[in-house]
Amino acid sequence: PAAMATRLLLAASRRLLAGAGAGAGARPGLRFRMLSPPEKKRWLRAYLEQQRSEQPNWDYHAEIQAFSHRLHENFSLDLLKTAFVNSCYIESEEARRRELGLDEGSVALNLQDNSKLAEQGMSFSRAYLLRCFEGAYPDLPAKGVEALVDFLTSQELVSYVAQNLSIQDLTLCKEFPVPPDVLQRTFFAVIGALLDSSGPEKTGIFVRDFFIPQLIGKDLFEIWEVVNPMGLLVEELTKRNISSPEPRITRQLGVSTVLPLYFVGLYCDKKIIAEGPGETLLAAEEEAARVALRKLYGYTENRRPWDYSKPKQGLAAEKAISSN
Amino acid sequence: MAAAANGPRRPPLHRPSQGSASASRRCGGPGAALPLPSAAAGAAMASYTKAAQQWATFARAWYLLDAKMQPPGKIAAATVMRLEGRHKPIYHALSDCGDHVVIINTRHIAFSGNKWEQKVYSSHTGYPGGFKQVTATQLHLKDPTAIVKLTVYRMLPKNLQRRTMMQRLHLFPDDVIPEDIQNNLLQEIPQPRVVPRRLDEYTPEEIAAFPKVWIPPKDFRRR
Repeated sequence: PAAMATRLLLAASRRLLAGAGAGAGARPGLRFRMLSPPEKKRWLRAYLEQQRSEQPNWDYHAEIQAFSHRLHENFSLDLLKTAFVNSCYIESEEARRRELGLDEGSVALNLQDNSKLAEQGMSFSRAYLLRCFEGAYPDLPAKGVEALVDFLTSQELVSYVAQNLSIQDLTLCKEFPVPPDVLQRTFFAVIGALLDSSGPEKTGIFVRDFFIPQLIGKDLFEIWEVVNPMGLLVEELTKRNISSPEPRITRQLGVSTVLPLYFVGLYCDKKIIAEGPGETLLAAEEEAARVALRKLYGYTENRRPWDYSKPKQGLAAEKAISSN
Repeated sequence: MAAAANGPRRPPLHRPSQGSASASRRCGGPGAALPLPSAAAGAAMASYTKAAQQWATFARAWYLLDAKMQPPGKIAAATVMRLEGRHKPIYHALSDCGDHVVIINTRHIAFSGNKWEQKVYSSHTGYPGGFKQVTATQLHLKDPTAIVKLTVYRMLPKNLQRRTMMQRLHLFPDDVIPEDIQNNLLQEIPQPRVVPRRLDEYTPEEIAAFPKVWIPPKDFRRR
């Protein structure tokens, strides 16, 4: 019915515009032929930007199966279908049915929400990623690991990953286009469904394969906002019993110009630990502190890339504990 | 610059090998051609913040070149490389990535052969009878920086960027440099020609230690 309505609307708009063209005196036939394809698609956009489920040739069950197959995972299909159902959808459907005048018996949908699965998926993902980073970067403090995990489970990133896995087509939701928090919830619900279907190891591999590559090309302090790197560095060095760093200018360039460059090196016991460039001396010192922190935490640009070859060991026992 | 902080700005003038050694030591290793090896060699070498890395890569460097006892052609060749920015991996002709070069002691350049008498610099005032030809000696006496300036100008690519690059060239006839330019300097370019030592610069021990082909007897008569 929605498709038919749009088709009628389109036809009506075309007739209207034809009338306007004739009224303006321009030749209506030529007018539409003269328009280049992008211009014509302007009024087609209302049709093209519809939900995939409202466009023709949509079989929900087949799509769900295809989704499971595409990800090379064995989902139990009813768990997966539950994962895509959002509470806003249930409310809107019930409201619509009530409006259409159905009796209370048939208003109630026999659909379960995805909130429990979403919670499960979120907590599992967070715990798994925390463990990954604690294993990979043992020197990174708890705040840094937390910042990394928060970034990876943040709304923008998760909704971006979910969109590229076509979850926005399968989600049952009130609004279109699907808002990012709903996408995030649905993706975590999918992970929860996978957890219940295939177990913690496979889900761990899934989480690793889709979340960890989002860190490629990202710098530690882009993700983790550190306001005072020098103070943090002094703390870290005192923890390791190294004397506090002494900043010295290593090179400087164009001091009396408007575009100077200073390289400040940090020396501990007369040995250099880090060097950083900057526009002013303060900026260079801060940059050197950041470089030193990156070196201490082992999150440099030339660290070994993430090892995707073997699955994480010792996962099952911890997962069993955390899920209960 | 560490040398600037300590005291004398450069090593003594008559030791070109020491000068080039200290210049390469200051460069910090095998990347002697690059002014800022860790910055320009790419992010893989040092984990800087992206903004800081970019600032350091595109910063305009200031080089010092001592022209004492150097041929102006070789001086100009090294200078033109730096003015264009060809010594950087990010070079592009339109990128405006050239650096500043400060040349000192242009009064003491050394032409090889008889060029001081034979090389002729011509110019025309534009008025009839205004064709002037001067030898290199006369020009050098009139303006001690003119020879180096003309050599560099003629070696630069003949495009609109040439004038901008000439503005980034700073010539001084002697050792004296204004203080703000001195503070801007990053590095010294090694001298292109190894200056040979004069006989009076050798110590008597070195002269005695030098092997002789034959020792003449005491009654040997030299006509």
